[in-house]
Amino acid sequence: MNFQFTMQLRAERLKGRRRHLLLIPFLFLLFQILWAFWQLNRATPEELNTGYLLLLHHLPMMNTILLPMMAAVIASRLCDMEIKGDTLKLLYTMQKQTSLFDCKYLAGLKYLIAFTFAQGLLIVGLGTSYHFGESLKWSMLIEHLAVTLSVSAALLAIQQALSLLSASQILPLASGLAGCFLGLFSLFFPPLIARLFIWGYYAAFSSASMDWERNSKIVHYYETPFPTAGFFLFLAAVIIIYLLCRTITARKEV
Amino acid sequence: MKPVIFTEALTKQYGGKTVINQLDLSVPAGSIYGFLGPNGAGKSTTIKLLLGLIKPNSGSMKLLGREVTEKTRLSILSQTGSLIESPAYYGHLSGQENLQIICTLKNVPETEISRVLRIVRMEAQKDKKVRQYSLGMKQRLGLAAALIGNPRLLLLDEPTNGLDPAGIHEIRELICSLPKQFGITVLVSSHLLSEIDQMATHVGIIDEGQLIFQDTLSCLHEHSRPRLLLRTDNDKEAAQILKRRQIPADLKDGKLYLRIHEDAAVKKAAALLVNSDIGILRLSEQQISLEDIFLNLTGRQVSL
Repeated sequence: MNFQFTMQLRAERLKGRRRHLLLIPFLFLLFQILWAFWQLNRATPEELNTGYLLLLHHLPMMNTILLPMMAAVIASRLCDMEIKGDTLKLLYTMQKQTSLFDCKYLAGLKYLIAFTFAQGLLIVGLGTSYHFGESLKWSMLIEHLAVTLSVSAALLAIQQALSLLSASQILPLASGLAGCFLGLFSLFFPPLIARLFIWGYYAAFSSASMDWERNSKIVHYYETPFPTAGFFLFLAAVIIIYLLCRTITARKEV
Repeated sequence: MKPVIFTEALTKQYGGKTVINQLDLSVPAGSIYGFLGPNGAGKSTTIKLLLGLIKPNSGSMKLLGREVTEKTRLSILSQTGSLIESPAYYGHLSGQENLQIICTLKNVPETEISRVLRIVRMEAQKDKKVRQYSLGMKQRLGLAAALIGNPRLLLLDEPTNGLDPAGIHEIRELICSLPKQFGITVLVSSHLLSEIDQMATHVGIIDEGQLIFQDTLSCLHEHSRPRLLLRTDNDKEAAQILKRRQIPADLKDGKLYLRIHEDAAVKKAAALLVNSDIGILRLSEQQISLEDIFLNLTGRQVSL
């Protein structure tokens, strides 16, 4: 990282003052904490016995519903100050368009990392306080966090490009909301079609699954093999998505 | 002296429409170059081209003696300041914090902030959030941002737009002081002739993307030498008599103008008309306005 880029990152940090950006992941996490308490308080002892699998199955669903919106709000908060203040023309006389995209992205990514890390702590914390019967499989937790972060990272790039390209933040925020619904609905699509909708990847990559017996109404959680090759392929796609968004944004004349 | 801005056949097209056509701009060092033209003439587009915010379709440009390319652009622009269209600012931050961002991006020590705030006379408002500033204060902050790093060249796009008369006067005074005090060359665009007339040392007039005049302001004023309005009892006849004797005169909109200034020539023309039995009713001097010069240059009426 060269000196110029470090200074540009610092400028990004200065711009973020009084924007209360940390509040965004905090509020989304708070919602998940409340949901987790509600879910675990009504869980049967059998379900609590497989509590980690329960969480690792349901949290990706929650992420599918919430995180596209969180990525949209973070990107919008970071970019609307440039749009409102008409600062892009001035900034592009001091830094490259691609460099501004990189700096903004890193500024947003740190909130996603903070959220993902906090979600990991939440899982471990809930396991300890509710005395889950099984022990936590760390590999499953890491896989879950890696999926959460990488899908969010791809969505952040898309949202950031939309926010920088739009004169108003209504469209990017609406697309974030649409992403939440698309992701949720994609879980009911045939797998081949569901793959077209990146918003649903939080749950699609989940390595915890469940069976529900209609008659006894007993829920059984179990582990499924993590699609490692597919995930690495997805990581490559995330990089391509990022570069694509970066190029499209940089090509826009201001 | 080498020009600070030099463009050669600079051309920009949008969707097949040429908005900047073969522009040859030459801005001398130490000058205040008034870049004049009606709305939509291509002033902002030219400034954006100079700053590399948009790419030309053809032509070349040199800023501060260096060829502007994708590689050299930012290094050249580190020695320039700009204010493009509306002022750029972060409303949730104070004036001081806004300038801190510019200092960081330009890699300039933050001691610069107090210097530029002093120049634009904004020390008292530096801690106020910019969204609470008036438009005039935002423009001054924009100018302060442009002055950070002591640039050699300032590009100001309609810096007095939307300001009240007092604000216009203040910005104008400020711009006029920059070449003398800091040795900065200023290119300032405007659609108001009167404004350029009060600031500039050099003028470039652009219309429909083409540079139709470029020289010193005094040279532009040469074009505005007074003309003589002649009223006779038969203007048509008088015009023909003068034309026959090759005395420069125009009959425009039913009015007869003499394009002569020397007393002897005027005396001769008047005597000629009297001897031809033409009664002279009035002979008055009329100043050609800059609007009329623009009309002469472009051949069309515009509001300036």
